[in-house]
Amino acid sequence: MAPVVKAIKGFLPYFVAVVAAFVAAGIFIAAMGFNVLDAYSTILFTSFRTNNGIVQTLLTFVPLTLQALAFTVPLAAGKYNIGGEGQLIMGAIGATAVGIIFGGLPAILLLPAVLLAGILAGAIWGGIPGWLLYRFGINEILTTVLLNFVAFGFIDFVATKVWSDPAAGHPTTIPIGKGGFLPLLVSNPPLHAGVLLVILVAVGVYIYTNRTVGGYDLVATGANPRAAQVYGINVRWMFVFSLILAGGLAGLSGAVEVAGIQHRLIEGLQSNFLQLGLIIGLIAKGNNKAVPFVAFFIAVLEIGAGAMQRTMMIPVEMVFIVEALVLVFILLSDVVRRR
Amino acid sequence: MGEFDVQVITFAKLVLLSMVPFVLAAQGTMLGGRAGVFNVAQEGMMLVGASVGFLGAYFYGSVLMGMILAMLSGGLFGLVLSYFTTSLKLDQFVTGLALFFIGIGVSTLLPKLAIGITLSPPLIPTLKEVPIPLLSQIPLLGPIFFSQNVLVYASIILSVVLWYFLYKTSFGLALRSVGESPQTADSMGVNVTFWRYAAPIVGGMLIGLAGAYLPMVYTGTFTEQMVKGRGWLAIALTFFGGWSPLSIFLGSLFFASVEVAAYRVQVGGSAIPYQFLLMLPYIATILIMMVSFRRARVPAFLGQNYDREKRSL
Repeated sequence: MAPVVKAIKGFLPYFVAVVAAFVAAGIFIAAMGFNVLDAYSTILFTSFRTNNGIVQTLLTFVPLTLQALAFTVPLAAGKYNIGGEGQLIMGAIGATAVGIIFGGLPAILLLPAVLLAGILAGAIWGGIPGWLLYRFGINEILTTVLLNFVAFGFIDFVATKVWSDPAAGHPTTIPIGKGGFLPLLVSNPPLHAGVLLVILVAVGVYIYTNRTVGGYDLVATGANPRAAQVYGINVRWMFVFSLILAGGLAGLSGAVEVAGIQHRLIEGLQSNFLQLGLIIGLIAKGNNKAVPFVAFFIAVLEIGAGAMQRTMMIPVEMVFIVEALVLVFILLSDVVRRR
Repeated sequence: MGEFDVQVITFAKLVLLSMVPFVLAAQGTMLGGRAGVFNVAQEGMMLVGASVGFLGAYFYGSVLMGMILAMLSGGLFGLVLSYFTTSLKLDQFVTGLALFFIGIGVSTLLPKLAIGITLSPPLIPTLKEVPIPLLSQIPLLGPIFFSQNVLVYASIILSVVLWYFLYKTSFGLALRSVGESPQTADSMGVNVTFWRYAAPIVGGMLIGLAGAYLPMVYTGTFTEQMVKGRGWLAIALTFFGGWSPLSIFLGSLFFASVEVAAYRVQVGGSAIPYQFLLMLPYIATILIMMVSFRRARVPAFLGQNYDREKRSL
């Protein structure tokens, strides 16, 4: 019984926070003259009503989980990566470049190359703030954010000047070779194998941070850098390494968007995954075991939000505010617990 | 007046015009930081300021009303930040991020609710130039410095006033002491809680106004993500300016020059693809931080929460 009680006690603040956020937003939705119950049943159940809903939710779950891990991994070392968006874009560019240049290769060679290129490009983009931190001591929060805006320029350049598809009305590249497409698990509605890949990655990250010596060094660095330094851990290198790893994870999310969904580079493919990833990472309080579950919950809300805007004309931003409020109430639950 | 003079005047004038959001947002960040409250929600708060400022100007038909409402909304964010960090002692960075998200959501939600989704967004009149009599007649300097919109004058005056306040008044000394060593300040009878509320609230008002400047001067309307990283650049600028009002002012001039130069080269047509010119302000900022970040003077208590009942800090 005891572990069950403990689990319920641990889960309770989350439940209260979610309910509180929904109530707070519900008052606002009602004040605007919408039917709150309709709105909330759309938000919560759209994902589970149809096969398409389930597939769309899983497809959103993929980048959200990777973006959240790209935040929580450096967080374990006490560093904040707000650059997942730029790292995703550079990963997508890397994946697209390989997918187009080596477009004729068979899938067995091209698909791994595409994914690897995405990881590598993201890792380099995450490594730059790491190096700036290591060499010049520049706060990584600022450099990771600013590099997002640099990446916006790159994706526009690649999609309009380098491999532009003039037939598309929006900055878009020509498609990558067929061999670079992620295989489908279900063909209608299409669900690509990236879902399995992400679950494997999430388990791998959890094992690394919680069950290995290298991961222990990382967590020790975040918990108390001075103690870790005295113990003999190269703390400054751990900072850099955590950002490179994060960049790789975010880069993979870009590669999966290209190889699994778009099959080409489209400006804006990063959506608002960064903000959602940060919210997920913060709601999970940096716990890598909780990240996939929180990511799934947020994916459900996001799919519901889209449906709510289409059917009820309530703007999607309403749900984004609910998600931010969940975070706020979880922060507040810490205050309550302290007393 | 030769062709070159005209070029110089146009460039300098645009730099002063583009400096305003940087000055306001960075001075606002500096104020909060001087009390030890490190705000990272600028980007979201500027978006809210832009959104509310635009809606206020649109519905009340008055730019002034828009500015006032934008400042109030920014001040509200500052108040929440202060309450969560100073009273509830929650992590400043996490609280700031949460406010950043709420700002993004609110800024796009409000116009959608108030105006609805339209293909051609409504426009508000942009801020007019207000030439100062006599002074604007001075050759060269007149057109550059003395025929600008009111917020250009206001941000120059604000920078000087803030400098005087921080370094020449006892209130300024009190504020600075709170950001350096709240324990010492507290034992000397300075009301730490008061300053940790007042500074971020006033700072938030400036950041909100910085946001409102964008629709009022650049576009005449609100568009999603229109702040384009200026909020984050303002934080970088505050570090670069060593948290002191006059250096921040000079830094803003530099940031604005890069922005204007990139824009002018783009319009003038060049061999460099415009995408790389758009990256310039962000890359320039990173390059500057490489030189200046280590040497930057930072309030010693920045980012921490003060608990007077704690024994040691």
